[in-house]
Amino acid sequence: MKTLNGENHMRSRAIAAGVLALATVLALGACSAPSSDSRPNKQIVLWHMENTPSRVKVFQALADRYNATNPTHTVKIQVQDWGQIYTKIAAAAQSGKQPDILFAIPDFTTYVRGLGLGQPVTDVVNRVQATSGLVAASTAPYTDAGESWAVPLYGMVQMLWYRADLLRAAGVQPPKTWSELLAATKKLTSGNTSGIALPAGKNLATDQVLYSLMITGGAANFFTKDNKIAIDNSKTVAAFDLYAQLLAFSPKDSGNYSWPEPQAAFTSGAAAMAIEKGQYLAPFEAESGRPASDLGCAPIPVADNGGMPGSIYYSNGAMVLSKDKSTKDGAAKFLEWILDPKQYGDFLNAEPGLFLPITKNGGTESNWRQNPTISTYKTCVDAMLKQADTGTLFGFVDGQYVKSIGQISGQNFLAQAVQQMYVNGQTPTQAVTWIQKQMQDAISK
Amino acid sequence: MRFSVRLERVPAVVAMIVLTVTVLGPLYWITVSAFKDRQEILLSTPTWFPQTFTLTNFQQLFLSTDYVIYLRNSIIVAVATTVVTLIVSLAAAYSLYRLRVPGSGRIAGIVLVSYMIPGALLIVPLYKTLSGLELIDTFAGLVLVNVAFTAPFCTWLLRGFLLAVPTELDEAAAIDGAGPARTMLRVVMPLMVPGVATVGVYTFIFSWTEFVFASQFIVSDTLKTLPIGLSALVGQYTINWGLVMAGTVLTLAPTVILFILVGRFFVGGLIAGATK
Repeated sequence: MKTLNGENHMRSRAIAAGVLALATVLALGACSAPSSDSRPNKQIVLWHMENTPSRVKVFQALADRYNATNPTHTVKIQVQDWGQIYTKIAAAAQSGKQPDILFAIPDFTTYVRGLGLGQPVTDVVNRVQATSGLVAASTAPYTDAGESWAVPLYGMVQMLWYRADLLRAAGVQPPKTWSELLAATKKLTSGNTSGIALPAGKNLATDQVLYSLMITGGAANFFTKDNKIAIDNSKTVAAFDLYAQLLAFSPKDSGNYSWPEPQAAFTSGAAAMAIEKGQYLAPFEAESGRPASDLGCAPIPVADNGGMPGSIYYSNGAMVLSKDKSTKDGAAKFLEWILDPKQYGDFLNAEPGLFLPITKNGGTESNWRQNPTISTYKTCVDAMLKQADTGTLFGFVDGQYVKSIGQISGQNFLAQAVQQMYVNGQTPTQAVTWIQKQMQDAISK
Repeated sequence: MRFSVRLERVPAVVAMIVLTVTVLGPLYWITVSAFKDRQEILLSTPTWFPQTFTLTNFQQLFLSTDYVIYLRNSIIVAVATTVVTLIVSLAAAYSLYRLRVPGSGRIAGIVLVSYMIPGALLIVPLYKTLSGLELIDTFAGLVLVNVAFTAPFCTWLLRGFLLAVPTELDEAAAIDGAGPARTMLRVVMPLMVPGVATVGVYTFIFSWTEFVFASQFIVSDTLKTLPIGLSALVGQYTINWGLVMAGTVLTLAPTVILFILVGRFFVGGLIAGATK
């Protein structure tokens, strides 16, 4: 047996003491870390999910600028993640630890309201409408029973992006109709270049691109007046059929594509066209090595028969969750301050090109217009603003407010239907029949 | 004869080469991409070596993100989780498998079952519990949850090492006047260094890479850990690949270094812990 001599004894004691000291120091350090709950009374906690570094920086700078004006309530920003927010806000709501302001998109708003959170902000929206004018598509999806449930802050709209250099070389004009889109896609596909890059993964990116084509095919509204599913119709089948045909000319790994992959294929010249929002503008020159003039844009092509202009439009807004009147007033002041032309341009510059103004005077806001990305791609920016006028979103078409839309968008049924065609070989008709049942089952639960 | 022996080794060598390429291929790709500029990363014909060798991605990582804060937070959480797990699992393993207290067999089974519950199912109840204890948005809360998930497995892992230490040593220590705590710390534990190293490495890597709990129970930017910070680089709609690659390389580095230092204990320890 090993002898318990003095040297070992001392060493063991020293090690044990060291471990205990380290554990104590770390535990004390951990316990002394600041908590979100230990906030001053006159502070508003804001959660947003725009967690890329550039957006975080701009939003924080604006909050700092607002706090420097000595408001009744200062603003504390806590950045969250879109991927985790559904669980997190549910858990926070159950514990009464929700933020005072929560950034949202329309379907997420229905989910948050379903948790018993959210206060009407109709008075704020009315005041902004009176002073700055609001784009109709930005307010409609937040309006239910005569009340506004979020203050719109910025919009996003999809366009058809094309590589002007590749179209020029192939002698192709930017397509305006579905048949032109399909013909252009075929003609542009050669060698290592795909005619178009489309997402076909089970994700929101696929939902959005397919839905833009459904809109221009006249299949935007797939709910009946009593909020039942009515997606199984010839117009939806036509949109699905187009998507399936286009996917044949998209890169072979499209089944895993979300947002970044089509953009990477497009920027590198591996694909000549893509359908997406304005995030394509800012990095184009740096990532493609091509001049800005090689990035072209066009409205989403419309169906040859019975088509109409349009695109998916996401109005991003802010919900006020606090029930306390003083805090609500403080939150309203901050949101109105953001939309004031003096700083609204700076706010939009958090992601120039992707974030579009939702106020009518926001489109002329000088800080935004002078941003290098916005001024370089002025034609496309103006085209996006025009496209926004015809923008809409599933569940909120023509004044609808489908409270169960979160159960549909959350499960990416549109994307799943694309996979039924792309992976499982279903025909567009079969995929539409399949999605009708899935959606109906989801909202019946 | 020698030729036939070499032929027999061919399948094993081929398998090792395939495995090495499969495992190290992505790591290689991430590493070289971190040193490419944005245009080269997206080239449709990829380059095997950086043609535009640049440190811009790393500079940007430190200048435009809170990487240093995330790194500090991850070190605090990982080290604290490792230390607390070691203390808890060593004490638990010794009492359950060595002292044979009444009901220890059942308790050991329950402890192992608790390890099998998927963490994601516990988010809401854990959030409520931590909220009640005022531990939401604190390192202490995160460490507590991490330990709750690492300690059961580590306790079971240490069982094999404990069984390998002859009980005669405990009896001899008792004759020399040592109590259970002293026997554990001064007699048994020194003979379990590989086991302690295994548990330490496992726990450190678990908490270093843990995402779900950190994303749910931490809300302040100043307390976020590396996995959360890295996920923010992959933003909705936009992504800066160079920045993501640089962040990934620097996040991997500590665990790779740890593995180089104590990896052989870890591999040997896992086998020993599982088979005895």
